[in-house]
Amino acid sequence: MKQFGTILKFELKYFFKNKVFVGITIFLVILIAAVMFFPRIMTLVESDEGEIDVSSHRPVMLLKVFDPASGDTVKEIFASSFPDYDVYTTDQEVSEIENGISAGAFDCAFVMTGDKSFTYYVGNLSLYDMNAETATAALARAYQMNAMISGGVSPQDAADIMNVYIESETVSLGKSQLQNFFYTYIMIFALYMVILLYGQMVATNVATEKSSRAMELLITSAKPTSMMFGKVIASCLAGLIQLLAVFGSALLFYNLNKSYWGDNIIIESIFNIPPELLVYMLIFFMLGFLIYAFMFGAVGSTASKLEDINTSVMPITMIFIIGFIVVMTSMSSGEVDNMVMRVCSFIPFTSPMAMFTRIAMSVVPGYEIAISIAILIASTIGIGVLSAKIYRTGVLMYGTTPTIGNIIKAVWKS
Amino acid sequence: MDLELVNIEKSFGEKKVLTGVSFKAKGGKAFGLLGRNGAGKTTSIRILMNVFPANSGEVLIDGRPIDYSKTGIGYLPEERGLYPKKIIIDQLIYFAELKGMTRKAAISAIDYWLSRLGMTEYREKRLDTLSKGNQQKIQLITALAHDPDIVILDEPFSGLDPVNAMLLKDVVKEQISAGKIVLFSSHQMSYIEEFCDSIAILKNGVVAIKGDLHEIKRDYPRDRLVVRTQMPDAVRRDFGSACSETESGSLIIKLTSPDEKKAVMTRLTENYDIDEIKVFEPSLNDIFVEYAGDAPKEA
Repeated sequence: MKQFGTILKFELKYFFKNKVFVGITIFLVILIAAVMFFPRIMTLVESDEGEIDVSSHRPVMLLKVFDPASGDTVKEIFASSFPDYDVYTTDQEVSEIENGISAGAFDCAFVMTGDKSFTYYVGNLSLYDMNAETATAALARAYQMNAMISGGVSPQDAADIMNVYIESETVSLGKSQLQNFFYTYIMIFALYMVILLYGQMVATNVATEKSSRAMELLITSAKPTSMMFGKVIASCLAGLIQLLAVFGSALLFYNLNKSYWGDNIIIESIFNIPPELLVYMLIFFMLGFLIYAFMFGAVGSTASKLEDINTSVMPITMIFIIGFIVVMTSMSSGEVDNMVMRVCSFIPFTSPMAMFTRIAMSVVPGYEIAISIAILIASTIGIGVLSAKIYRTGVLMYGTTPTIGNIIKAVWKS
Repeated sequence: MDLELVNIEKSFGEKKVLTGVSFKAKGGKAFGLLGRNGAGKTTSIRILMNVFPANSGEVLIDGRPIDYSKTGIGYLPEERGLYPKKIIIDQLIYFAELKGMTRKAAISAIDYWLSRLGMTEYREKRLDTLSKGNQQKIQLITALAHDPDIVILDEPFSGLDPVNAMLLKDVVKEQISAGKIVLFSSHQMSYIEEFCDSIAILKNGVVAIKGDLHEIKRDYPRDRLVVRTQMPDAVRRDFGSACSETESGSLIIKLTSPDEKKAVMTRLTENYDIDEIKVFEPSLNDIFVEYAGDAPKEA
């Protein structure tokens, strides 16, 4: 136990002295600060520029109506449909309008060629130009309104009918995926990044000790179980500390700038994670991290050269990525309780992501959660002990990288 | 304190690595564990250090099974290696702590050894900034800092210049006179001869010969004479196939039995101009080649 403490301390120190680790953490915190302070900075910049005549920047849209009698209605509807434009009516000829657009006198124009038809004139047609679609809807409204007015409905009533407002309310008895989608997404992604990154680090760390032959001394000084658990738990703590630093600073900076963010639904939902979900996050993060880090460590111990690591860890990475894809696909399809997800939420290698997603985005019976966590804990311990055995056998095998079969045989014999 | 390996058997998979290996090393004495590459020396050392268990057999300290929590072992592995990118003092403290020392005790022991080996100036340096010989001295500290009862040195002199080799010799002598068990493994026979009272030679996982080095030499059949003469051709003609020549130009005459010694000596001195004549005593090198080599052992 004392050895475990010594190893844990030594390995943790390695992370905090590692310039890359510290650098990435600081970079992420600064990045988050920049994002979180962005609206505040923008308002500062905008208020400075407040004196400038904003209207001069607004694009100009010309309307050439077909029937001058309904000209005002059409203009009114277009003006409200295109709030970003200054809308003017015109009676210029089409050729004049075309010249005007080419010369940059105004930005675009709609020439009505009938009650129900128009031509859209614009300079460069942007990929995202939706003006024609908006105009279609606007002209349809104008036509309907004119039809009603000519049918004897007063203009006021016609406007009221067209602008009818339906009040609605949705009561979700389970969980609203609209709200929890974003933070689940962020958490799964964080889990994915951290496990892959730190897992690789554990594997490289072990392989470096092996290739530098520091292992010769380590293996005769400490128990393989202490070595393995010390290393893996140290990197787990380092990962957790990094996540805490990043998410903690995000939360802090958000609260500092809360008023500037206004009612941004996405941002608000991200920072309104239910506390019990955070607890689940912590449980699944720790266990998921440990189970993979143990495997990465064991694989690292079998590589005889650092270059071998990338190919050796491939099977583990594959399992992990498949799990990730299943979870992500189910998430975006909205059906997080499908059969594949149900199965995945009990398999220890996928359950950290799958079960967590189900808990976050659906209603999962308590016993299912308990069984999933129990399986995960048992397999984490099992994999931990097994990987320490592989480690003890693997670190002393030099030369060619042993096949999985050889390792299993060697472990079985020992 | 005595260390004893009794009937150690070890296989890796199908391959049998050690067969009935037994030897005994005494405190205050150096013990030489010899053998060619792949003879089973490192495996024996690893079993002794509990890196992996033997299939059968025992490791005893004073007749009782070894208690690793009470018996300190210091090890200088043949494959040298520490953390190349880390500060020397940090990793030395780490290894000493792993051996059960407190941080404070570790620092004072390490500082003693750094100054004893003339390495104090490198205390805060990264290991990979040091020369190979100096790295080896740092590695030696990991084997000695925790004041172990058993010191295992695998090829301790390889890569050291004569001055450093002298320094290491002094350190080894200190360790021996402090009553520790010093276990040597080396291919440099001169060092083994200089330090070790007892040896064991392993061949293909079996102890080919073991015991007190002087006794082994004395028990060696005294049936050969070393002759230095001004008339080598005449002597060679006289003794025919029983006579061979060494690299240094001396002649070796094999006797049909040790009892013949006096008669042959007389015959030589009376008939030829002889500078020197003595009974052939094998060097450790000769013994090693004979017991560990591929050639069939002479009767």
